[in-house]
Amino acid sequence: MEDYLEMIMDLASKHGATYSEARYQSDTYESILLKNGMPEMTSFDVRKGIAMRALVGGGLGFGATNLMTKRDLKALVGRVVHLAKASSKVIRTPISMGQADIGKGTVEIKPRIGFDAVPMEARLDLLKEADSAGVKSAEAVGVKLPGRYVSLDALVTEKFVMTSDGARVHSIIPKVSVDAFLTAFEPQRGIVQRTFSLGESSGWESVERWDLPERIEKEARSLADILVKATPMKGERCDVVLGPEVVGIISHESSGHPGEADRILGREAAQAGETYLQRDSIGMKVGSDVVNVIEDPTIPRSFGFYLYDDEGVKARRRYLIKQGKIHEFLHNRETAHVFGVESNASSRSVAYNREPIVRMANTFVEAGDRKFEELLEGIENGVYVKNFMEWNIDDRRYNQKYVGLEAYRIEKGQLKGLLRNPIMEMTTTSLWSAVDAVGKDLEFSAASCGKGDPMQGIPVWTGGPHIRLRNIRLGGVS
Amino acid sequence: MRVEEICEFVLKVCNGEGASDAVVTVTEVEETMIRFSNNEITISNALKDASAHIFVADREKKAGMGVADLSKKTLLASAKRVVTSAKRAPPGDVYAPLPKGPFRYDETALGQPRLEMGPRELVGLVRSAVDAGLREGAERMAGSLIARNGRVILRTTGDVIASAKSSSIEISVRAFLSNLASGHSTVIAASEKDFRPEEAGAEAGRLAKAAANPVDGEPGEYQAVLGPLVFADLACQVGRSASAFNVDAGLSFLGGKIGQKVASDKFGIADDATLKGSYGAFPFDAEGLPTRRTAVIENGILKSYLHNSSTAKKFGTQSTANAGLVVPHPFNLVVEAGDKTLEDMIRSVDKGIYVTNDWYLRYQNYATGDFSTIPRDAMFLIRNGRIEKSIRELRISDNMIRILQNLSSLTKDRKWVKWWEVEVPTLTPTALIGKVNFTKSSM
Repeated sequence: MEDYLEMIMDLASKHGATYSEARYQSDTYESILLKNGMPEMTSFDVRKGIAMRALVGGGLGFGATNLMTKRDLKALVGRVVHLAKASSKVIRTPISMGQADIGKGTVEIKPRIGFDAVPMEARLDLLKEADSAGVKSAEAVGVKLPGRYVSLDALVTEKFVMTSDGARVHSIIPKVSVDAFLTAFEPQRGIVQRTFSLGESSGWESVERWDLPERIEKEARSLADILVKATPMKGERCDVVLGPEVVGIISHESSGHPGEADRILGREAAQAGETYLQRDSIGMKVGSDVVNVIEDPTIPRSFGFYLYDDEGVKARRRYLIKQGKIHEFLHNRETAHVFGVESNASSRSVAYNREPIVRMANTFVEAGDRKFEELLEGIENGVYVKNFMEWNIDDRRYNQKYVGLEAYRIEKGQLKGLLRNPIMEMTTTSLWSAVDAVGKDLEFSAASCGKGDPMQGIPVWTGGPHIRLRNIRLGGVS
Repeated sequence: MRVEEICEFVLKVCNGEGASDAVVTVTEVEETMIRFSNNEITISNALKDASAHIFVADREKKAGMGVADLSKKTLLASAKRVVTSAKRAPPGDVYAPLPKGPFRYDETALGQPRLEMGPRELVGLVRSAVDAGLREGAERMAGSLIARNGRVILRTTGDVIASAKSSSIEISVRAFLSNLASGHSTVIAASEKDFRPEEAGAEAGRLAKAAANPVDGEPGEYQAVLGPLVFADLACQVGRSASAFNVDAGLSFLGGKIGQKVASDKFGIADDATLKGSYGAFPFDAEGLPTRRTAVIENGILKSYLHNSSTAKKFGTQSTANAGLVVPHPFNLVVEAGDKTLEDMIRSVDKGIYVTNDWYLRYQNYATGDFSTIPRDAMFLIRNGRIEKSIRELRISDNMIRILQNLSSLTKDRKWVKWWEVEVPTLTPTALIGKVNFTKSSM
């Protein structure tokens, strides 16, 4: 395979490319889906092919094919160079790739339990057991789960990434994930729903550790309790404690996305949008001093794990917000050149046929030093929002809404009864500025982050510890 | 092997291995995308792919496999593996044999003319859209143009032999006057002769200019004029929620409502893959059934879900030729037109908001339809029948059924919409909704 990639870059260079990159990517999926306790189609999928980018005369071309004969690959180079040349003739600002810490090496995660060791029938049996545990758990409090699905996906991604300026990276990364959706129904109380995801870069050992029957049993019971016991709340000003799942989505949406350098430059303007941050926003105060948001692809087992990005740049931990101030943006080599900095290895592609663009990997609020009980202490009247269902944020990443699902009243530092759907609808800087204390109990959730055109849903972790916000205006159920 | 021979070969292997049903699909795609921002081309993408999908059932037990390598050796191994997997799988809840063909398809839909535009011509089309927006007063333009040629070849154990070529071209373009004033438009077509990228650029530019100097809007209940991009997003939610799979899984606000009034009398929506010359037209579904027009909602009454053979059997009805082998889906949504002009509509509004685009629609509850979405691009306050000012920073927080039931009128002009946020091509008018709840950040 390396010979083919070398051939592509040589050919691109002969056609006048000042930079080229060639990537082989193979994604092998094995998926099962249980709907209402019954299996749907068992699916296998192999997607593999070769992608390349070429910079010609300041114009950038990307191309991909799964037709991997020499003839097809030569034709690919011809198409990409042709496209790059066509665009170079009409652009005023030539594109360049900045200097970076380019790598050579192999990255391989070797699973302790390979997916081959677990037959699809055994995987379905596990999902059935988990589904059944959920149904029984809800029935114990008189609630039915009429609509539900659980899917389990195993994926192995192999990549060779080469660039004309020396990157040579080979990686083999397995990933496993579970997505679950539960609907709880009780005739007098109506319907509530919950989705959640688990995902890691690992083998089957992660699934064993997740203990799906226990997890779904607890989720179903919690949902049933919300349906039966939660009381509506009116809008009010109060202190709020947010759980790691909520902190994770906020870190991702309200710190990670705004700090993507391609958004700042307007490259995603017509699709995923732009950002309230500007090129000169480094150092801008957006939150209280206790807020530190980290982006780190190198966390072992993480869903967004990588050690070299898809431009062959060595990955490292990045602080997006440090002590409440914007500290660093996420860059690929193209945006880094514009900003006059080095790429911090944020270039990722979800498949062989997608261009690498600036992406998050694992975004989270850095753990502090408080126990959960300490966060509750001193709250006379407040709300604890453990998890959420509905959320969205505007395309400048400034106005967001997070609607709690499992939420509790806090009275005199103690958790009390369940509340129905507290609504946080506030600006990014108001949210981060209201944080006055950060827990030490860091947890992560898996997610698929959508960006790019064509859309690229890419695996990420979002996370954080519990955090406390003071004097928030919380909305209630309409 | 030729593609037709590949399908025949794989089908024979599946039969020989004991599958009761099998579908072999080969898809070939050639796509060029040109992305642009700040009036400049940022990247041009070229994709050329050929892949196969093998679906096998051993009565209620099903398995499927995507294959990227179309060599005989790989196809043989894949077919054997997928049949073995189906045989070992636990049974699903229903068995519906594949539709028994052969079928006759609409000849005119089987072979659309191929798009033959090269990179320079496509760059020229992008340039025409950008320049049109700048002429209308925009400062910067961003978007993407996609030109696509494809071919799908389908063989099934139901004696289906089908093959169709399709082509499409589309542009999605956003114009900015400042960081806070913007407009968005799309144009899609099945052939180059119907493609007018400069119209999209000009409309986006006009909207951006009209939206200049926006002020923060006030939350509350308003009449709402929802432009085609917004109403297409909502119509797509109806289409998605009409999929019988989603109904069964609890992912639909239309569940259990067949025959019920779910919308205003004025609202009708159909899925119509037979609409000649339209972007989403296609002659057959994933089981090989000839596609048809299916009325989902007529005069406000929910008439039908969208089915494949399996969901139809489970629901005790016939397939609507919307397979997806697992999840039925709409191809080409068409919302019925009304009798108003946009000007009539705005004149009829005392206190309202005209929303021209939205994004990021998320549900609190799929089954009840409680959701919110964020208006983006040009948005205007309407007072006493006139547009008073450009506004921003609001969110629609409401319920799907409530919005459909509060629909007051529709324009007679309709627009085809498909872009990043609206995945199914949708022909829709502008809609006036009697009451819509708008919220905003409280701090």
